[in-house]
Amino acid sequence: MKTELLETIRKDVGNFPGMPGAASKLLALLNNTETPMAEIEAILRYEPGLTANVLRLVNSAYFGIPRKVGSVRQAILFMGWKRLTQMVIASCVSAVMDKPVSGYDLAPGELWRHAIAVAVASEGLAKILELKDVEEIFTAGLLHDVGKMVLGRFVEEHRIDMEVERYRDQSFEKIEKEIFGMDHAEVGAQILANWGLPEGLVLAVRYHHEPENSPKPLPMIDVVHIADLISLMIGIGVGREGLQYEVSRDVTDRLHLEAHHLERVASQTLEWVQSFTVSLQPE
Amino acid sequence: MNHIVAVGDMKIGMNSDVLVTHALGSCLGLMVYDPVARVGGLLHAMLPLSKINPQKASENPYMFVDTGVPELFRQLYEIGGQKSRMVVKAAGCGQPLGNSEIFKIGERNYTVLKKLLWKNNLLLEAEDVGGVVSRTVYFDLSNGQVLVSSKGVKTEL
Repeated sequence: MKTELLETIRKDVGNFPGMPGAASKLLALLNNTETPMAEIEAILRYEPGLTANVLRLVNSAYFGIPRKVGSVRQAILFMGWKRLTQMVIASCVSAVMDKPVSGYDLAPGELWRHAIAVAVASEGLAKILELKDVEEIFTAGLLHDVGKMVLGRFVEEHRIDMEVERYRDQSFEKIEKEIFGMDHAEVGAQILANWGLPEGLVLAVRYHHEPENSPKPLPMIDVVHIADLISLMIGIGVGREGLQYEVSRDVTDRLHLEAHHLERVASQTLEWVQSFTVSLQPE
Repeated sequence: MNHIVAVGDMKIGMNSDVLVTHALGSCLGLMVYDPVARVGGLLHAMLPLSKINPQKASENPYMFVDTGVPELFRQLYEIGGQKSRMVVKAAGCGQPLGNSEIFKIGERNYTVLKKLLWKNNLLLEAEDVGGVVSRTVYFDLSNGQVLVSSKGVKTEL
């Protein structure tokens, strides 16, 4: 029974939309040390819709750029090309993740709002904790729950099995794993691997509920773990499972996390989400 | 008429108004009702103490329990509510698994609320707080009825 189920889930992962061509081409450039300005311009030249979306993001209040940016070249000058690439990924993913998702009892658009909340809260935490090497953290936060897009259908079908008494104090992803053989973090990591995203991002998504099990400890994994919990606690993207996820003691110790860090970031998150989402609405 | 109260917000109303708030995780949902004047208000406060972000608190007192609760009462007095008649109920204040002190924002919200009420000689009439569930509250101002729903099950508070 479980093997059949796992087979079906794997098939769904295989059928999940691919990363659009432009984004994959840009990702391939990420290993460059220099700014491949001309190449980026060339890739985006054939994607006017995408370019418009990306520029809208760049011009959002969230980045606080003093004057309006009107071209890819200017955007790179203002925010650096790696940051711009992240915004390209965000634009591409928003089209995929803005669809309703069943099973987790999230209102339409709520999973996407949660994705943005975790992205901005991750950046906020990284800043407050003065962490280094967290360049990709925004994207890691944005993509951490992409697996729910696939697993949602199965969570819906097995609703009753997941509500039994012995699961009451069990972290929700462990219940998923027990019933399906795979949890939403594993499903998400599989999707990202299929998209050819860098290893750090794949690990951050794979271990966002169990950072202590990552083969490679990365600050990015720890921060996304905490930011995810903050977002759920303040009610952004909190679904049927509520707050049924476990706080990793290893992570709070490693980050030297204190209550005031959490509360400070929580107090800003709504505003950050607002300043970022406004920009995704067509003008 | 249904009015939605967002996170870090508060609404007051009367008679046939129904105040609704969704997704109470560790936030505090506070329902206050005067059955004689038939006025009431619902606060959805995120964090216990405004000192964590004073600038935010001055822009929006409803984000914090210590600034939001007094403001809710103040506004109810303005539309005819009287302290001696107030019925006070609380919901929310949950927390994730793992028993991490740092993450007990919900518990801290609840503690600050209790202190405020105690100082003002007020008691909680009913509460549905703690645990890992996310809650939605429906507060009917025609009769003061509070329904709390989690996982699709509604119970009266």
